[in-house]
Amino acid sequence: MSILIDETTRVLVQGITGKSGSLQTKSLLDFGTKVVAGVTPGKAGQEVYGVPVFDFVADARTAAGDVDAAISFVPPLGARSAAIEAMDCGVKFLVLTMEGIPKKDVLDILAYAAPRGVRVLGPGTAGMIAPGKCKLGAQPARMFTPGHVGVVSKSGALSYEIGKTLTDAGIGQSAVVALGGGPIWGVTQMDAVELFNSDEETRVIVLLGEIGGGTEIAAAEYIASYVKKPVVSLIVGKSAPEGKSLGHAGAIIRGSKGTAQSKIEALAGAGVKIASSPAEVVRLVKECL
Amino acid sequence: MKLYEFQGKALFRRFGIATPDGVLHRKGDVLTGDRPCVLKAQTLSGGRGKAGAVVLCETEADRGAALEKILSMTLKGEPVNAALEEERVEIEKEFYISIAFDGEAGVPLIIASASGGTDIEEVADKHPEKILKLPFDSLIGPLDYHLSRVVKFLSTKRTKELTGLLKKLYIAYRDLNAALVEINPLAETPNGFVALDAKVELDDDAESLHSELFDALRKERSEITGRTVIAQRDTITYVPLDGDIGLISDGAGTGMLTLDMIRDHGGYAADFCEMGGLTNPEIMYSALERVSASEKPLRSLLVVLIGGFNRMDEMAEGIVKFVSERAFTKIPLVVRLCGTMEEEGKKIMRDAGLSVYDDLDDAVGAAVVGGGL
Repeated sequence: MSILIDETTRVLVQGITGKSGSLQTKSLLDFGTKVVAGVTPGKAGQEVYGVPVFDFVADARTAAGDVDAAISFVPPLGARSAAIEAMDCGVKFLVLTMEGIPKKDVLDILAYAAPRGVRVLGPGTAGMIAPGKCKLGAQPARMFTPGHVGVVSKSGALSYEIGKTLTDAGIGQSAVVALGGGPIWGVTQMDAVELFNSDEETRVIVLLGEIGGGTEIAAAEYIASYVKKPVVSLIVGKSAPEGKSLGHAGAIIRGSKGTAQSKIEALAGAGVKIASSPAEVVRLVKECL
Repeated sequence: MKLYEFQGKALFRRFGIATPDGVLHRKGDVLTGDRPCVLKAQTLSGGRGKAGAVVLCETEADRGAALEKILSMTLKGEPVNAALEEERVEIEKEFYISIAFDGEAGVPLIIASASGGTDIEEVADKHPEKILKLPFDSLIGPLDYHLSRVVKFLSTKRTKELTGLLKKLYIAYRDLNAALVEINPLAETPNGFVALDAKVELDDDAESLHSELFDALRKERSEITGRTVIAQRDTITYVPLDGDIGLISDGAGTGMLTLDMIRDHGGYAADFCEMGGLTNPEIMYSALERVSASEKPLRSLLVVLIGGFNRMDEMAEGIVKFVSERAFTKIPLVVRLCGTMEEEGKKIMRDAGLSVYDDLDDAVGAAVVGGGL
């Protein structure tokens, strides 16, 4: 098994009939992901690329059987209800792709998930891929190949970029996970490192970080205490000016806080190998494999 | 949306939280009458106290001079256009109280300290034990035991009043869909607790749930700054920089990576322009429009696309439309395009006589030497 998903994972698509939902369902099916059902209230009886659509998650479960994971394309104001509906039906892994969900709703979803042992990836995430096994996100399949490197990134596009760079260099991945741009995360960098650390297929962990916030520092503390596997890190935004927010909610340097340098020092202090470019990620990963 | 202090206080009063009586003054206002008061610059950035933009006044002369001085200040690049005059309050103790969220833990928190005031950030750095951070369940809200812990930590005799205030602050946080409600300082006075400051940040993602309030607050801000403040529903992040290489990306992470790679190649970016991971030909078109309208001459314009949710055929459509309509020949255009619907996107580019790069490093190199298509 890869982390979180594998070739047996049975997937439900919430918001399957929308523009993003249907296009991404096709891309999941093309990859070979087991999409067993879709849900859009009021659209029961339709099909999306052969996937049956139901009004409610409970109906989908009755007709299609067990569901291990749900990927949601439900619009922001409906996201909370949809996520809790999936959890009420026993789904243990949720991927929330939408950006712009009210923060209180995101906190509610996470509060509901925690005591139920549900993992939430996102919100605002491009999802994840376990090459050769399962794709539960927007990752372009051809940029990834099976192997033993676990990659975690906040940014979706950066996760594809590094996946592509590794694949072009002949290095495969056990899984590539995008967490979302924040400012609230279900699965965090630290959680992903923890999962990769206990995953038998992962031999090297690549942690892609960025300026702003302190999540890389928390990950560094965890790595220093618990991680025996080699970790390679690339922190982007080194040349960003102070005080300007670069796209992600957290990607802003405030005074001495959140600089690339402070993160690099914390990670290097935890024994992490620091790369300064994608090409160097490849070189350092090769040394570790 | 960050609010001015006077806006935050007006909202606090709506939820039953006491604030000093106050009047808002604009540029050109002249003060008459003699009374002790506090004058406070109204800006969205913090650090007003340390910048001398909060003044205690004893006499009429004091007031007039202080108001004139405050209204001529610029704080962290923000001109001061209004000042709040408030009655002086007899302060026994000052506290810090806020409700915010911890994004990584995914929980809301009450944050409290008995060391309230302008040095709270220093306290947080040097004496973290003097600050209580108490998470609570987002679905349930803070329970009696949370409130009791906060009250005990702050050690006050007015336990009932403080508990009541905390409840009101939580209801404000919840009902306003706030990302942050902060009172610093919260004054304990002989007449109970008074919010001497108010820092409120509303959640832009919840605007549709509070559209009238957002409109009213924006109108107020427009009146103060003299500039129309419009809703920021733009998915494009555009930050001007000092260099001469125009940059557009379809993700914040790759945008930042490309920014660093441009520097590694010896170049400087003219901007950071990020379209988000779910875009369309119109957004691509307007990003090109915005970046190419840079006041400085551009050496090249680098477009870095790696599509997941984004479709490369749609991105190519936006680029081709822009190039054909704008006779866009003067600035060398360098496009790296790959990912979802890549073949279709490349075909659209080829049919229009445009070529694309596959490798990011090659594309950055070409943009830095001013090469391109």
